[in-house]
Amino acid sequence: MLKKIINFKKSTSFIAGIILLCILFILIFGASIISPLDPVEQNAAERLQKPSLEHPLGTDRFGRDILTRTLYGGQNTLISSVVALSVALLIGLFVGLVAGLFHGTLLDAVLMRIIDVLLAFPFMVLAMIVAGLFGTSLFHLLIVVAAVWWVSFARLARSIALQVKSETSFAAAQILGASHLTLILKELLPKAAGPVLVFATFELGTLILSISALSFLGLGSQPPSPEWGSMLADGRDHFMQTPHILLGPSLFVILTVLAFNLIGEGLRDRLDPYEKFE
Amino acid sequence: MHATTNMLFEVKDLEVTYLQGDQREPVLKDVSFYMEQNETVALLGQSGSGKSTLAKAMTGMLPHSARVTSGSLTIGTEQVANLTDTSTPWQRIRGRRIAMLYQDPRQALNPLMKIKDNFRELLQDHQLASSRDYLQISEQWLYALNFQDAKRVLECYPFQLSGGMCQRVCLALALCLKPSVLIADEPTSALDIVNQREVLDVLKTVQKQYGLTLLMITHDLAVANSIGDRVLILNKGKIVEEGNTKKVFSKPQDSYTKQLLSARSLLSESPQRKSVSFQSKQKLLEIKGLEKQFQQKQVLTNIDLTLHRHEIMGILGQSGCGKSTLARCVMGLETINSGQMMYKGTDLSKLNNKKRRAMSKHIQLVFQEARGSLHPGRTALQIVMEPLHYLHLGNRKERQSLAEAFLKEVGISSDMHARKPPQLSTGQCQRIAIARALVLRPEVLICDEAVSALDMHVQAQILKLLQQLHQKFEFAILMISHDIRVLRSFCHTIAVIDQGRFCEVRPANALEKESKNAYTKKLFHSALEMEKGLSL
Repeated sequence: MLKKIINFKKSTSFIAGIILLCILFILIFGASIISPLDPVEQNAAERLQKPSLEHPLGTDRFGRDILTRTLYGGQNTLISSVVALSVALLIGLFVGLVAGLFHGTLLDAVLMRIIDVLLAFPFMVLAMIVAGLFGTSLFHLLIVVAAVWWVSFARLARSIALQVKSETSFAAAQILGASHLTLILKELLPKAAGPVLVFATFELGTLILSISALSFLGLGSQPPSPEWGSMLADGRDHFMQTPHILLGPSLFVILTVLAFNLIGEGLRDRLDPYEKFE
Repeated sequence: MHATTNMLFEVKDLEVTYLQGDQREPVLKDVSFYMEQNETVALLGQSGSGKSTLAKAMTGMLPHSARVTSGSLTIGTEQVANLTDTSTPWQRIRGRRIAMLYQDPRQALNPLMKIKDNFRELLQDHQLASSRDYLQISEQWLYALNFQDAKRVLECYPFQLSGGMCQRVCLALALCLKPSVLIADEPTSALDIVNQREVLDVLKTVQKQYGLTLLMITHDLAVANSIGDRVLILNKGKIVEEGNTKKVFSKPQDSYTKQLLSARSLLSESPQRKSVSFQSKQKLLEIKGLEKQFQQKQVLTNIDLTLHRHEIMGILGQSGCGKSTLARCVMGLETINSGQMMYKGTDLSKLNNKKRRAMSKHIQLVFQEARGSLHPGRTALQIVMEPLHYLHLGNRKERQSLAEAFLKEVGISSDMHARKPPQLSTGQCQRIAIARALVLRPEVLICDEAVSALDMHVQAQILKLLQQLHQKFEFAILMISHDIRVLRSFCHTIAVIDQGRFCEVRPANALEKESKNAYTKKLFHSALEMEKGLSL
């Protein structure tokens, strides 16, 4: 599988995505080197300045450099979304493949009903409930995201498992005495992993936007620590006079989502299990 | 090429290559042939010989990866297409002048449309009927094609009709545009023998009635023999022999044609087995009163079957009769509704998952889809080691040496051990599948149509291999097939199954003569009719 992923001949979108993501990572995690300014320290004298050499993207209403805050904010947003997504991905794959393997049994029915309920339940409302009960923090937000987001992965994994189950090679493995665990790990997982992983990269974009949206509502990371969503929320009041203060965070959200979508596209071409052998 | 006065259809110097990566692989080389008016020409070739590519090239349906490097197509006196030219107006040629009939009639019909709507779409597109009279026209065509109840058929969806009926509907659709040439690409190979007979009969009748020029593409000698005035033999993209059908089959000139014919005679040998009594031998598998329903549908009814040690039993039935379901029930892939399945005194249907898994040491199955039953990403050696690994038998070294021994047993040489299924031929894949089943040393081997998807000469090879292995390892075989020829020469006993019931169980050599069952007789009649005239 690794060999297939690192096949540079195949598509340009994948390489473009990787390069873009690398640049974003260097910028975001090299924030302290790139910018000498402090992301949190306020400076009333320099509030709401237009872009200049000193502040390439201008300053916000507390006089903080927007570029610096965007770069530091990326650390929060990227780490949290990748962690939340990975957790959701693992849960989703496991639940989906188990449900698929035991298709038609009580276990499958129970798992699928849980999935239906979670799908029907609005994600935002759940996040607000958790925030109300346990307080607002990025960590709580991540738990909510992982708890809800695995559902779509599980559905996908299950449908792939059902498809694989109808193939002769699966029946052959069953007849040859493979245990349930072997069936999941050796027969179902390799075929499900590709599509689910690709789907996950597409979902990452949505996830970043959702985390930003929740932060925008004040449910995620708390001020003054920078985060793309909360920065956008912050800039809302002064948007009419100084539109540039939204430029930094929104540009980075767009570029990150784009990078992951490009990678997802490339992965889909590479990991297609029904691809012809040449 | 001898030009004749009433030559209707001619293909000249056709050459097609497929682009694969950077490689160019010629699939057809210098293919030239002609057909006279009202003539039926059979194009005979094994899988991979390029016969479907030929059909596609003649109708401009080649995929993008294919390139026609030379070739022209003439219908009547007019050269209709320079085949290398991609701008040929195929819309005006396909359907009206050349009609096609495909292998899978169900896929050729739109599954969401009733038969009458399939007709309406076609007739209106070609402005042959208005929305008022299309029903009448389509009805007439269906009557012409031997449908007794054309009105009912028009109101049906494709899935409600049998494969043979669907193929006849496709034929009616093709004919109603009044084409001068009909290309039939394996129109009967997806059908069972009774339906096959039915479609071939209709094809012959309409060919005469409408003065069609018919190109019949097939891999089946019997089909070619029963329908072709002339026969072309295609091997590796070249026409190696052509001539009058009777002449070619009785006095083949080319070595490849001879090979094809001898493979067939191997299969068609009259029953060589003496009737052996197995009554005294140990009963391995004993099925009593087995019933299986899918939702409301009764699939298997009251199946009784006893398989003795070292016996080869054939189960003969048409597609959809429940014979594969029986195999799946025995293997535990399906649960049964009632009845008993005893293996040496243990009831298979009452085992828990763990014991059921251990049972795979005793009963094994070989599938029809040789390639599909193997994991495409594993090497031949890994595949044969799989079951040993699953059941935790032996250590790595022992597993490997055992697997190597069995690969040798089925005739897979050691240089192929590292190859994966996509790099192996279908016959080799089936050999590996057999090795994988036998490496557990089962006492019962079930072959579910294990040779049906293979070419004739490969079929003969695999059957021979199974016979040798049977002699050596002394397992019992349950051979499930729709092909009388295969079972007749291979089995001791044959059970005939029709709509989920056993009609009769008899020794193989007595079945043909002694059978009083109408269904068995019909099967034999259809099969033997096809053989007629094939001098062997």
